[in-house]
Amino acid sequence: MSDLDRWIEQLKNCEPLKESEVKVLCEKAMEILVEESNVQRVDAPVTICGDIHGQFYDLKELFKVGGDCPQTNYLFMGDFVDRGFYSVETFLLLLALKVRYPDRITLIRGNHESRQITQVYGFYDECLRKYGSVNVWRYCTDIFDYLSLSALIDNRIFCVHGGLSPTITTVDQIRTIDRKQEVPHDGAMCDLLWSDPEIRTIDRKQEVPHDGAMCDLLWSDPEDIEGWGLSPRGAGYLFGGDICANFNSTNKLELICRAHQLVMEGFKWMFSEQLVTVWSAPNYCYRCGNVAAILELDENLSKNFKVFEAAPQETRGVPAKKAAPDYFL
Amino acid sequence: MSTPTVLKGSDAAVQNTNDDAQISKLSCVRLGYFKDDFIQYFVRRASRRSPLINRGYYSRITALRHLLYQFLAAGHDPATGSTPPKQVLSLGAGFDTTWFQLQSEGIAPARYIEVDFAEVTHKKANIIGSKEPLYKLLGLDKGGEIDAESGRIVTDQYCLLPADLRDLKALEAALTSVGFQPELPTFILSECVLVYMRSQDSDALVHWLGRRLPTAVFVLYEQIKPDDAFGQQMLMNIESRGCPLLGIRGTPSLESHVARFRNNGWQRAEAKDMNTIYRDHLDPQDKRRAERLEIFDEFEEWHLIQEHYCIATAINDTQGIFRNYGLPENESIHKPLPCAD
Repeated sequence: MSDLDRWIEQLKNCEPLKESEVKVLCEKAMEILVEESNVQRVDAPVTICGDIHGQFYDLKELFKVGGDCPQTNYLFMGDFVDRGFYSVETFLLLLALKVRYPDRITLIRGNHESRQITQVYGFYDECLRKYGSVNVWRYCTDIFDYLSLSALIDNRIFCVHGGLSPTITTVDQIRTIDRKQEVPHDGAMCDLLWSDPEIRTIDRKQEVPHDGAMCDLLWSDPEDIEGWGLSPRGAGYLFGGDICANFNSTNKLELICRAHQLVMEGFKWMFSEQLVTVWSAPNYCYRCGNVAAILELDENLSKNFKVFEAAPQETRGVPAKKAAPDYFL
Repeated sequence: MSTPTVLKGSDAAVQNTNDDAQISKLSCVRLGYFKDDFIQYFVRRASRRSPLINRGYYSRITALRHLLYQFLAAGHDPATGSTPPKQVLSLGAGFDTTWFQLQSEGIAPARYIEVDFAEVTHKKANIIGSKEPLYKLLGLDKGGEIDAESGRIVTDQYCLLPADLRDLKALEAALTSVGFQPELPTFILSECVLVYMRSQDSDALVHWLGRRLPTAVFVLYEQIKPDDAFGQQMLMNIESRGCPLLGIRGTPSLESHVARFRNNGWQRAEAKDMNTIYRDHLDPQDKRRAERLEIFDEFEEWHLIQEHYCIATAINDTQGIFRNYGLPENESIHKPLPCAD
């Protein structure tokens, strides 16, 4: 058995890898991810999944419902980490599967795949707790910078974590990458770069900026408005049905598929079925009581939602029983 | 009262919710959501809470504080510049620090009485007795009575009393022993307390207070909506901490909170969920300040959880000093006062 297969077996049991193994895994993953486009091409049939957020046992439930990788071809639309108890195991399992079966699983970046957000929402603390240092967090967040920003299924279905950006009208604008360009990682310089309407390229290999196209793709939300609106999240935008319809017709798309927002029924259609939200973290944060869904597309892009509940309590690890979800007490 | 033995474990778990609440409040204070110079003394192990929990405590404490300030200012006579003496009765107060804050601001009422389980008041008295800034503020270095063993502190202004809220005779005896004056305008505060009691017990408490206090404001903050998916999960999670929300079936909605007060000796009552309060009744400027303190990416969950908490207020107003009492509407918060010409 190769190291990689052994790691996958180990991670499937929710046992984290050693720090040195994480380093090797991330190096291998980087070689694969760097070759991927900002708009990764995916062929149907494929099963589309939304936010996971470190809910490892619910990810196992997802694989039970959707089938194992590589038998099933998967597309995960980001937010692998934060909030749940097992961000480390969850992300490393998905990453190990990516390295082992690069053509059978696609991982795109969510707004939580960011250094800043993971320091607030749990992944940083979890790495520190489980490894006694932040090295694993560093390896993983470096990998986040290499994750693709979106996927296009059979040129008909556009998949992105958050939504659209006022600076993007065509899929090609997302696709154009100038890799030679050094993009500074710090805010002000970065903002200047993004503010220039002439520069339409996205070097995705960086921390998610606070504004600009890349930020919007990961943060925006659809809303029952016309045009664009300010997002209460403080990043990205709200976009209305007209924006969605224009984007779909300009790019000859039939559907935008995105995640990012908790929907209690697991999926939610909007804008006359021009957009769908898919949410794959059941009983989100062990608190919300929601069901989750995955979207199966067959070779003709026929859609089938599979709805599932949280893994039963007895199949979960010990910490899930111990740590009580937060309320106002 | 002989407490049924089956409730013992639950009582202990309810008491533990106090520690959790203080940790969350300290988390807020350290991040700058609100000021509380005294909470630090009551938390053994500080921990940073999620932005959602911080913002939730911010909304709760800001709204409750507004209601308390408004109560303290009620009945102000511009001619004499005086306000009638008043008292606060804090039910299941836990380690709440409100009195210390009011005292340090120079606006503490004539009397502030806190009641909780003896186990809690024992710990609280111990902490107060061992922290100089606390017992000095209480004047315990100069007078008053502190008995940490029985969990009792009695000074002219502040009282900490052990009592089981399910035992009204004992509660009455405890209050009488410190000269509680039912006829004084009274602010009753109950934060996540009644909901842990069986409805028959909390109804009796509400009724007893409603009948005895002719001039009073009862302010209650607690969980509602046990029946939707979030509510069902909330019940299960809180029950798994060992402290089931025994009373939530009796008051599952805003309407039922209002009806409970109206049926138990209170003249007026209203209830709003925390989404409404956050949206319409908090100072927009301060809200903007608070919203900039942390990254916040929990909007759907935020609305869900806030929808499952409410503030209910009930009023008895024989003196007519609470005519305009209640949380202000957003737009009126910053309106200049009308000129008196």
